Amino acid sequence: MKLAVELAGIRLKNPLLAASGTFGYGVEYEGIIELATLGGIVSKGLYLEPRDGAPPPRIAETPSGLLNAIGLQGIGIHAFVKDVLPRLRAHDTALFVNVCGDTVEEYAEVARVCDGAPGIAGLEVNISCPNVKQGGMAFGGDPRMTHAVVAAVRAATRLPVIPKLSPNVADITLFARAAEEAGADALSCINTLLGLAIDVETRRPKLGFGTGGLSGPAIRPVAVRMAWQAARAVRIPVIGIGGIASAQDALEFLIAGCHAVQIGTANFVDPGIYERVLAELGAYLERHGKSDIREVVGTLEYPGEASECKTGGTP
Amino acid sequence: MSANRTSFLVGREGIGGPYFLLTFLHPETAREARPGQFVMIKVGVSAEPPLRRPFSILEASPERETFTLFVKAIGPGSSALCALPVGGVAQCLGPLGRPFSPPPDGTEAALVGGGYGVAPFSFLGSELAHRGGAARLFYGGRTRAELPLLARLRAQGMEVVPATEDGSVGTPGRVTLPLEAHLDAAKHPQRLYACGPEAMLHAVARIAAARGLEAEVSLDPWMGCGVGTCLGCVVRVQGRDDARWTYRCACTEGPVFDAARVVWPGESESRARQAAGGRT
Repeated sequence: MKLAVELAGIRLKNPLLAASGTFGYGVEYEGIIELATLGGIVSKGLYLEPRDGAPPPRIAETPSGLLNAIGLQGIGIHAFVKDVLPRLRAHDTALFVNVCGDTVEEYAEVARVCDGAPGIAGLEVNISCPNVKQGGMAFGGDPRMTHAVVAAVRAATRLPVIPKLSPNVADITLFARAAEEAGADALSCINTLLGLAIDVETRRPKLGFGTGGLSGPAIRPVAVRMAWQAARAVRIPVIGIGGIASAQDALEFLIAGCHAVQIGTANFVDPGIYERVLAELGAYLERHGKSDIREVVGTLEYPGEASECKTGGTP
Repeated sequence: MSANRTSFLVGREGIGGPYFLLTFLHPETAREARPGQFVMIKVGVSAEPPLRRPFSILEASPERETFTLFVKAIGPGSSALCALPVGGVAQCLGPLGRPFSPPPDGTEAALVGGGYGVAPFSFLGSELAHRGGAARLFYGGRTRAELPLLARLRAQGMEVVPATEDGSVGTPGRVTLPLEAHLDAAKHPQRLYACGPEAMLHAVARIAAARGLEAEVSLDPWMGCGVGTCLGCVVRVQGRDDARWTYRCACTEGPVFDAARVVWPGESESRARQAAGGRT
């Protein structure tokens, strides 16, 4: 079975990436799982400098979901490049840096640092974190700002640029197109949904930050719908993210037109998920008489549309 | 090195009400676990409950390749675990976290366990006994029913001083009462170890600070991953040399912390702001 895919000129040995913020810097799982099993790893969000993040409590369970406000605590891009990257490069998997910034200039500067560091396959641009007061979703909630950030990062690096879009907008296609026009090579869809959980005994939010981002199986149908809309709106490939915990879940995104997917919250439930999902993907292809995962991409038969309707893009 | 594997439940003992002793086959945890360490465990990989749960290790047996948990069935995660039949399986990652550190020679250990927070002290008590040191456990709860391990801990040779708020067994009132009485009378230097409700940990930290004693506390915030990737379980911890506090992961830099360095919720407003120099 062929599970390899190509995305924005990057060859991935399989379509499963670890989502930013759910896999640390990757090295935390050394010795617990075989990192080479993964198609790729997207780092925790990185600014130029280290960040403290949001006050605890930072996570709360919700029905089939996880509400979090970590607030992009991180070691900063310089420490990542110096201390983590050399160790991470020893593993045969594609490495992506999740790029953050308070300003357009900071995004570009982080991208510039990555451009000079060996071993990075691509940049995911975080314009959709709901848990910071500046930057984050502010850039992902206005198509002109999305365009400005992506264009600035585009100009600062030769690496593939992959904006991660927010679901907290009325029409994601406006943002998908803005990012594509600004020179994005692919899109990550979606980040967490803005949520609020309340402790009724104390009448306070369950999270120290107040609101948080919802992830996990609870958001999967929303994520599949938005990834599908984005994939139809642009010619660049889309990476599907949102509540994937099995091969079935991953296949929903692939069939909807995504060329790869990211596994997030499910890493916490089982860090060994990659091996299991890859085996299940192989079994699915066999059962459907296919030999290559790429044959599945964009094959959604949507009611009222011709089955030949192209939902994916050409990578 | 911790290991992530499917683990068979090989022993299940109800010890009254919602309390169970659950023994799992997990060679790595059995071999390498230290007192104060924990496992992340969940029955199956379904979406409910969404996360694994951290549990302190009650005992580990390298010979049998098993470890035992003391679990109170109170929520969906712990209840599913307690409902698992012998021969059933759970997904388990362990051993994890920073263990308790033993007291220096000549110093006695005073262990303070509140409710199901007593879990790590069977393991710590046995280890200290093997080292030939003296250890005494102050075991508190609201009622006798909240002290289901009392007879078992005594049977393993530990000196246990119970306290209940309703006076149904041991000293009536908070567990810190017999602890302070003991510290007043102690002839040898004492080191405190505490695990239980946050208010109790804070009280033990205050007692230790007032008496100039060292204390280690095991904190229990919500955890997402157990290995330092989600950064969901952070606590405020003061740096050395009185530097500003920073967020530390309870899963990898704890769950055991030096009580004097923990910035407790009640004091977080003033002390935290002062220490942080206005940064958030």
